[in-house]
Amino acid sequence: MKIAEHLEFSTFNFQSSMETIGTQVRLPFKRALAIAVSGIRIRLGRSLVTVSGVVLGIAFLMSNLTGQIVKTALSEEREQSQRVDMMMSLVNAEVGSLEDRTVAVAAFGRVTATDLAFVGRVNSSGPALFRAHGLDRSGLTAVSLQELGKDADLVFVMGDAASASISLQELTAGMASPLVLDTQADREYTGEVGDGIRREPFFGKQAEDMKEEAEVAARTERFRVTWILVISLLVTVVTVANALLMSVTERFREIGTMKCLGALSKFIRRLFLIESALIGMAGSVCGALVGAALTMVIYGAMYGFGKVLLSIHYGQLLLAAVVAVVCGSILSMAAAVYPARVASRMVPADALRSTV
Amino acid sequence: MKMEDKQLEQLFRGENEAGKLDHVIRAVDVRKVYTMGDSETHALAGVSLDVRRGEYLSIMGPSGSGKSTFFNMVGGLDKPTEGKVYIDQVDIAQLDPYELAWLRCRKVGYIFQTFNLIQVMSCIENVTLPMAFAGMDSEEARDKGIEILERVGLGDRALHKPAEMSGGQQQRVAIARALANSPDILLADEPTGNLDLKTGQEIITLFSKLREELGVTIITATHDLKMLKSSDRIVWIEDGLITRVSKPEDMQIELADIEGE
Repeated sequence: MKIAEHLEFSTFNFQSSMETIGTQVRLPFKRALAIAVSGIRIRLGRSLVTVSGVVLGIAFLMSNLTGQIVKTALSEEREQSQRVDMMMSLVNAEVGSLEDRTVAVAAFGRVTATDLAFVGRVNSSGPALFRAHGLDRSGLTAVSLQELGKDADLVFVMGDAASASISLQELTAGMASPLVLDTQADREYTGEVGDGIRREPFFGKQAEDMKEEAEVAARTERFRVTWILVISLLVTVVTVANALLMSVTERFREIGTMKCLGALSKFIRRLFLIESALIGMAGSVCGALVGAALTMVIYGAMYGFGKVLLSIHYGQLLLAAVVAVVCGSILSMAAAVYPARVASRMVPADALRSTV
Repeated sequence: MKMEDKQLEQLFRGENEAGKLDHVIRAVDVRKVYTMGDSETHALAGVSLDVRRGEYLSIMGPSGSGKSTFFNMVGGLDKPTEGKVYIDQVDIAQLDPYELAWLRCRKVGYIFQTFNLIQVMSCIENVTLPMAFAGMDSEEARDKGIEILERVGLGDRALHKPAEMSGGQQQRVAIARALANSPDILLADEPTGNLDLKTGQEIITLFSKLREELGVTIITATHDLKMLKSSDRIVWIEDGLITRVSKPEDMQIELADIEGE
């Protein structure tokens, strides 16, 4: 055919003009972000539904984390008061009631919260005189180590130092019947143990078997909770993925148009990932707040708000919130991977043909 | 195809009066087969066509004739099953995704029957979007966008959303958007299909004006006989084949008949 001959003739120079085609530039992130944001804004209704899916999942996660923190804090407090009870009952067994007695306490090194709580309990059980050495912030009368034992019925020794800077004789000088109750059984004192000085170890200790039992129960509980959490987060991922797929279908034409105008597949993919990340972040922040607040209200109603608010470690709570938000954002982006791929692989001609 | 007529043959090749060739698009024996299950549909059964630079070409044909398929091939939106399509003498089948995107962005401007403006964006944002894809900075794009909007007669509507405009205005925005990166080719698929007679006529006038002022090559697929008058060549496609190539002068009698009815 004449035409075919002619066509072959004029194709020979196509190599030379290859440089007329360039390579498409990649759009800056800012531009993609702006388009994604306006996309969310215009489809606010749908976006909010998607966000609420994330909010629910993350609120559930956060309420579990918060619950754990509150429970731990409350049980720590309970454990401490149990220990103090035990210490008090030991003291009472040794010397009877502390009322109108003269009591002294010496601290070497750092003291524990339990020890401090114990000091507070002793102070409130009505001793005639309670003096201390090394416990500057306890509000007790501070005296020198040498004066500590004078006319005292009882001397407590506490703190984490392995050795005391005084001999037991000096410590108990001036006591009618020297009695030292030491939180460390093997603490070393200078000099020798004098005759007639009773030194007894005393520390609040939880029964080991009780502790073990509690640990087994806690482990079972933790496993169960983790299982439920994983399922609920998966449900969240599926919800977000579903919503985004719907959104891709809805935007078939828009995506096709963008491709006709020179958008790279990468750009389309990025658009959906950014949108999903934004939805994930917004949803997780709301979810974390709602979850934490709700849990604290529930525990507050059960155990008293003051107690809950005072016993919580806020550092842990913040960490949990960060974990929840990061988790929500990552899951939400993971949910977008497939829809974004569907969108970016679309052939522009197909996208335009669709009448959705 | 009857190719005895020397003049018609010349026309078919896209030669100008002097017989000189400057082809912006060349399609060589393009075939497209859609497979659906066991059945194969031959949307295009071997179409060859050269389009001269600056030409105004109309493609006529009933729906299902392969007109839109051919259109997508020529615009680099779809790849042929067999045969070659050259745009500016570059075989588009050999382009990687980045180069294809570059081509769609700068070489070709697309205009659709349904306008396909992005509803989320204002006029000016729609028009500057292809410029952003081309890497133009936003202030420069804005100035150029306003200039183009003025050219299509919508300088005062820059901040309106597509939903606030009439069909004719939306199509003008779409034309402005197609012109954003000063393309060599404007591809318009039934540009007047969704418009009333008067508005459609305005769009056709605008095309002629743009062709004269910018020297851009215009290819339209259309049912609209009015569009034929302003075109240089009319290509008739039926059942995936070119059945006829004619000049509007040859059509005058037919057209007059139709308009006289």
